[in-house]
This record gives sequence, structure tokens and C-alpha cells, in this order.
Amino acid sequence: MLNFKIDTNKIDKIGKFTKEEKDFRIKNLNYFNDIGFPNKRNEDWKFSDLKEIVSKNFNKLNLKFEKSEKPKIDFIKDFEHNYIVIINGELVSSDFKYEEKNKIELQTFINDDYSDKNEKNPMINLNHALSDKGYFLEVKENYKFKKILVIYYLFTGDLDENILNSKNKIKIGKNSELHCLEFVVNDSKRNFFNNVYEDIILDDSAILKNICLQNSKSLGYFHKYSKNKLSSQSNLTSFIFPTGLKFYKLDLEINLEGERSECNLQSASFLNNNEHQEVKTRVNHLFPNCKSYQKVKNVLTADSKGVYQGKIFVKDVAQKTDAYQLSKAILLSDGSEFDSKPELEIYADDVKCSHGSTSGSLDKDSVYYLMTRGLSKKESTKLLVNGFLNEVADSIKSESIKNFIKIKLDNQLLDEYKKH
Amino acid sequence: MKNQELDQNKEYKYGFTTDIENVKAPKGLSEETIKFISKIKKEPKWMLDWRLKAYNRLKVSKEPNWQKPKYPKIDYQDLYYYSAPKSMKDKPKSLDEVDPKLIETYNKLGIPLNEQKKLSGVAVDAVFDSVSVATTFKGELTKKGIIFCPISEAIQKHPDLVKKYLGSVIPISDHYFATLNSAVFTDGSFVYIPPNTRCPMELSTYFRINAAETGQFERTLIIADKGSYVSYLEGCTAPMRDENQLHAANVELIALDDAEIKYSTVQNWYPGDKDGVGGIYNFVTKRGACRGKNSKISWTQVETGSAITWKYPSCILQGDNSVGEFYSIAITNNHQKADTGTKMIHLGKNTKSKIISKGISAGKADNTYRGLVDIGRKALNSRNYTQCDSLLMGNKCGAHTVPYIKNKNSSSTIEHEATTSKINEDQLFYCNQRGLNQEEAVSLIVNGFCKDVLQQLPMEFAVEAQKLVGISLEGSVG
Repeated sequence: MLNFKIDTNKIDKIGKFTKEEKDFRIKNLNYFNDIGFPNKRNEDWKFSDLKEIVSKNFNKLNLKFEKSEKPKIDFIKDFEHNYIVIINGELVSSDFKYEEKNKIELQTFINDDYSDKNEKNPMINLNHALSDKGYFLEVKENYKFKKILVIYYLFTGDLDENILNSKNKIKIGKNSELHCLEFVVNDSKRNFFNNVYEDIILDDSAILKNICLQNSKSLGYFHKYSKNKLSSQSNLTSFIFPTGLKFYKLDLEINLEGERSECNLQSASFLNNNEHQEVKTRVNHLFPNCKSYQKVKNVLTADSKGVYQGKIFVKDVAQKTDAYQLSKAILLSDGSEFDSKPELEIYADDVKCSHGSTSGSLDKDSVYYLMTRGLSKKESTKLLVNGFLNEVADSIKSESIKNFIKIKLDNQLLDEYKKH
Repeated sequence: MKNQELDQNKEYKYGFTTDIENVKAPKGLSEETIKFISKIKKEPKWMLDWRLKAYNRLKVSKEPNWQKPKYPKIDYQDLYYYSAPKSMKDKPKSLDEVDPKLIETYNKLGIPLNEQKKLSGVAVDAVFDSVSVATTFKGELTKKGIIFCPISEAIQKHPDLVKKYLGSVIPISDHYFATLNSAVFTDGSFVYIPPNTRCPMELSTYFRINAAETGQFERTLIIADKGSYVSYLEGCTAPMRDENQLHAANVELIALDDAEIKYSTVQNWYPGDKDGVGGIYNFVTKRGACRGKNSKISWTQVETGSAITWKYPSCILQGDNSVGEFYSIAITNNHQKADTGTKMIHLGKNTKSKIISKGISAGKADNTYRGLVDIGRKALNSRNYTQCDSLLMGNKCGAHTVPYIKNKNSSSTIEHEATTSKINEDQLFYCNQRGLNQEEAVSLIVNGFCKDVLQQLPMEFAVEAQKLVGISLEGSVG
């Protein structure tokens, strides 16, 4: 097996750091070098053996120091929006033409937290050690965005066996509201690894609605760790359509740190050839009267693998918690695999917590019904799969955005059905 | 001895000890201890070799530590691995020769050892500390060709069967406690049901730990040959002591073509006192293999005792069309901890499994369901249904659910659901209003909550189990 050890003197190449920061980076890098990419012996990576996946698909992994040429950007024309452009993880440009400029702050991310958290996740260690890019977005108090913010994540064609590490931070002030669409456009035809660490902070009564979408299929290997802090009465809604990468693991930590805070997480994906995708969540109910809702839907075909690991933790003081987890998967081929681990850890008694997880084939009666109405088997399957996945997109309120997403999802399905 | 005579204490009515002179193996775990056990059991050489192989394996294996309930390190050198009532040294030929004190103990426990109590219609094998005391109804069973005897006797009389099946479901290298058991197991039951035979009565084993500082390591092996059926029940109690005692048993079930095994457990080991002092560590490995086509294994367990319960009765569904079932009630109160569940491994086509788990925690207890459903690539048209419900009483206890679900083919279906809640206040109010006091009401509601599982128990034990559910929760509400 290949070793992906990274020399500590590479840190000097990233930039000049204070001693404190440098020690922090070296410590984390040493930890990563000891463990390497996590394998299935690590409980959090039980179903996604990243060590195996990386060593199978990569010969080497280089850090990227030189800047890439700015690619042409196809801005979305379907609806009016503000935007931020991120190229290979680096903040490049932005436009907030529909908003009040003094209410928004956007800058390149500067890490100033070197506290020793003793992180035991090699991917976070790697990010702490090597991250050199990213942005920090702050929405000040009492401001509601008038239009949606689209964050374009572009990846350039010259990426080849590179590893990118970036850190982002979004802070929504008291009583403020932001809707955003993370739109990933990947021009690289080669393997590369993108490792992101994200920090999201919602102050009291803040609202963040977030949609994550891939433009098209690509050979990217993505890992994202997202840490969300929700203060009292704040609300986080996240729609994730992660389809289209070779490997994707989204690791969400949601801390409900104020009374009556709520989070709603929904995901729908269609996995194909050799794709591997995991959604892992940990929702920590730390205060009373909080709500959390999770719905994860997967359709798997060819030899793809889908994983859902969800955990709801309810602290003893968090009475009147309402927490729900649902995972549904449809397996269309015998080569596909779906694993789930919906976990509950509950220490308070006056709570309503439940989860459900199902996996199986398409309902034969439904297919039969559609076929009696004159549809071919393929068409029936497509219609049913579409209906299954669109349920998530349907709960997006804005019509124009909903349609945009549905078209994108439909194209992904179409690609699949054209082939057969 | 540190024993405390506490039989007046009604909270755990099996907490008495019996003063009987014991024969013990030298303290500690060593090759000598194993040779001592093997010698006293008059075992053939192959058995001793098997034990030593396990012991060598044990030396290199590590104790697992991934489980939820943590426990202080066990000093394996500070335990007695063999303890037997002295009077058992020369085996009694019939019940008349059994030490009257032993009979008295079992009478206190309500075990119908005496064959006169034929009304109960249950054949019993009683295991006291490390040796099997007596097996009732032998004659009737022998007529049908059924073998039901202590495993030490089976090793001598039916070596071919034992050699063929022992360790075939739980290999000696399986995990730390299974390996430990393989090295030092002292006694247990052996059951063989010949082809096309329906065992005419419930078979039952009663386990009791009596002596202090002993671990109990029994081994049960049940083989249901083609087309046979057997229902087996296991019960356990132990005296109250302020030290922790280890119980690490291995149970292996093998069902061949069209055979069915129903295995029920009412586990009521001493759970420790209100402050969590003492109690049994119940680290048991139970596994059944549905080897044949259309075979079925069904586990039912009522776990009310033990300081820590850590076990996963599992089914390996190898034969096509085989069925695995798991029904469980785990009740934890005070400082008890339970980490229990099952594994259903689907390998054959059209295999089905069903898991119903009810966890109840009260006081400062922690209750975890941990289970695996794994449907393999070749297990086409398989089906699993899992339901885990937890009930919490009070805000100092915990209820956890950790299911692992793996599906590797598109023609199989898995459904899993779990809920956690507290006792509905409306239900309590309704019961109170009809004249039931708080405790009666809770007992009634909890029994209703557990109904799906209690129904699976054989009649005689369902009644006992129902009472046990009520008793275990006494004082937890109000």
C-alpha cells in the first residue's frame, strides 16, 4: 500500500507563520502522518475505507502551490443572485449587487484558533496542518438577504493528483437571514482530492438556508467537515444533492446550543459507476425544546456504494427534544451496496426521538402498474426514481431555484438512462 | 468469605447463599488450572488439547473495549475457574443421592428438580457453580433418542457429536471472552435431537453461581438434526455479594435441514445493590447457525439482572429459506448497564430475519441496543424487519440505539425503525383513575410495551417473566 506521508518542511512552502501557528500545523501533520488516511478500523470510517480508496486511485498526492489560470465562468441565468467565486478553494471575486454592502463582510479566511482540540480525525488534522485557502463571510445583525447568494466552487482543468485543503467560515448575525446555493463546477478530468473544513455560526434567531449542488459528473474526491453552531431560536436548513463525484463524504456536526433552535437536513442522490458517497451526521441536542429533522434518500445503481451514518445525541437537560432521522435507499443493481447506521444516544426522558431506515428494490407493484399504462420498464423505473428523489427538491420554497435544481437532477438521471 | 446473608431482602429474592463445601481449582488462570479442570472432568486428550489451543490463543488476544458500558479491569488471576460442591465429586446416580442442601437450594429457586413434580412437564439440567447437578426426565427423553445431558458427560459418551460441532459456530479464536470460555469451560448442557423428532417437552437449564470469587463459564451445545424441533429455556440466579463476578458462557446452536430451535432466556443474575456495588458481569457469546434449508432459530431473552449485560445472540442464516428471529426485553434499573442486541447474517437465498427489541431504563441505568443486519451479495430475496423501542423513566438514565445495516443486493429489503420515549402520562392517568396505584400502573404499561416479546416465551415462563418485569422496576417511578 502506498504511503501518503507529507514532509513537515512542506509547511514552510505554504507561507510564513508565527511560531504558535507553525507548531499547531506540525502537530496536526505528525498526527496525520502517524495514522495516514483513515481506514475501516476507525469506527467513523467503518463503511468508507478511505485508505483503500485513495491508494487504489491515486499514485501520489501533491500539494498545489502555483496559481491556476482563471477559467471562464458560466454564471447561472435562471434567477437573479449575488455571488462569490472560489477557484480551487481560493476566494477570487464576489458581487453583492442586490445587498447593502455595509451589512456584509467577506475576506480571505485567516485562522486564529490554534487551541489544542486534540482532534482525532485524520482528515481534520490534515486540513489543520495544510489549509492555505478559504473565505470568511459574515452577515451583520438584523439583515435579511434580498436575493440568494450563489457560491461558485470552481475546480480548474490543471488539477491532477493534487490535494487541496481549505477552511471556510460563515457567521450569521442576530435576526439575520441568508439563503445560499453552493454550486460546484469541476473542469478537471483527472483525480484530485478536496478537503474542506467549514465552520458555521448562527447567532440568536438567525436563519441559514443552504443548498449544495454539483453541476456535472467529475472525478473529484471530496471530503467536507462542517461544524455548525446554532444559538437560540436559530434555524438551519440544508439541502444536499451531492451526486456526481467519485468519492464524497460529508461529515456534519450540528450543535443545538440554544433553546428552540432547529435544524432540517435533507439529501437526495443518485449514485452510479463506482461512486462512493457517505453522509454522516451528528446532531447534538444540548438545550431543551430543540428540533432536528433528517431525511436522506439514495438511489444506487451499477457498483456504487452509499452510506448513511447518523447520530442523534440528547443531553440530559435537553428535555422536550423532537428528533427524527429517516434514511431510504433504492438499490437498482446487485452490484450496489447501501450501509446505514442510524444511531440514537439519549439521556433525557421527555423526548420524542425516532428513526427509520429502509433499503430495497423498487416496488414491483408500482412498476407493474406503470407498465400496464403503456410505459416501458425503463421509463417506469425512471419515473419512480425521479419521484422518489424529487420529493426532497420539492420542499424547496423558491420556484425558480427549485426548477433549476430539478433540471440539473433530471440531467444526471438522463445521462444514466441514455447509456442503456 | 465476604458473603453477606441477605435473603430477607425482598428486592432480589434469589440473593441467598448455600453453605456447601466446595472443591475448587487453584486460583488463577494457567495451564495447570486447565489441566486440573480437564482431569477432574475425566476428559479425553483431544478435549484437553482443544482447551490448551484456546488458552494459547487467549495469551495473544486482547480484551475488547469498544462497548458502551465500561468496567474496571478484571484480574483473571484472582478468580477460581472451577468450583464444585464436594458431594458432587462422585457423581450421584439418582436424585436421592444428591446433597439435600442442593435440592433445598433449587426448591428455594422454584426449580422442579424432583421428578414427582411431573405436572410442570419440564426437563431440567441444573448447573450449580461449575458442575451439572442433575438432569431430570432422562428416561423419557432417551426413549425418543434425544440426548440431554451435561456437556462433560457428552464429551465422554458422544465424542463424535461433540467433536463435530463444538466450536463450529463460535470458533475458539472468536474473541477474548469466547476464547476464555473455550479454555476453561466447566460444564453446561448438551442437547441432540435426532432427525424427525419433536422434543415432547421444554428442555431447561438453571444456572446458579454460589461460591464467592468464582467465574462461571458454561458451554451449551444444541444440535437439531433434520426435521426436528426443540424448545430450550435457560434461567440464571446468583447470591448477593459486594464484589463483581464474571459470567462468560458460550452457547452454540446448530439447526440442520427443516429443523427449528427456540431458545429462551430469563436472565436474573444479581444486579448489584442500589449504589451499583456488586453484581454479575454477564459477558456471554450466543450464536446459532441455520445450516440447513428451511431451518429456523429463534432467540427470546428477558434480561433483568446483571450489573453489566453484554451479549448479542446471533443467527448465521446459511441455508436457503432459513429464518432467524430475535425477541428481547432488556430492563435496567439503578446502576445496571446493558449493551445487547443481535447479528443477523444473511448468506442463503430467501432468508428472513426479524428483530424486536424493547429496552427499558430507569434510575441511573444505561441501555444500549446494538445490532447488525448484513445481507450478502448472494442472499437474494432476503428480508429483514427490525423494531427497537426504548422507554426511559427519569432523566438520569440513558437509552441508545446503534444499528448497523448493510444491504448488498437489490432484491432484498431491510426495514428498521426505532423510537425512544417515556411512559405516556395519559396512559398513567387512565390507569390511576381506574384505581391502580402508580407502581401497578407502570407495571401494566411496561408489560403492554413488552407484549410482543413476552408472547414468544413458553407459557410457564411467560408468567414468571411478567412478574419479573414488574419487580425489576419497583421504586423507579414516583
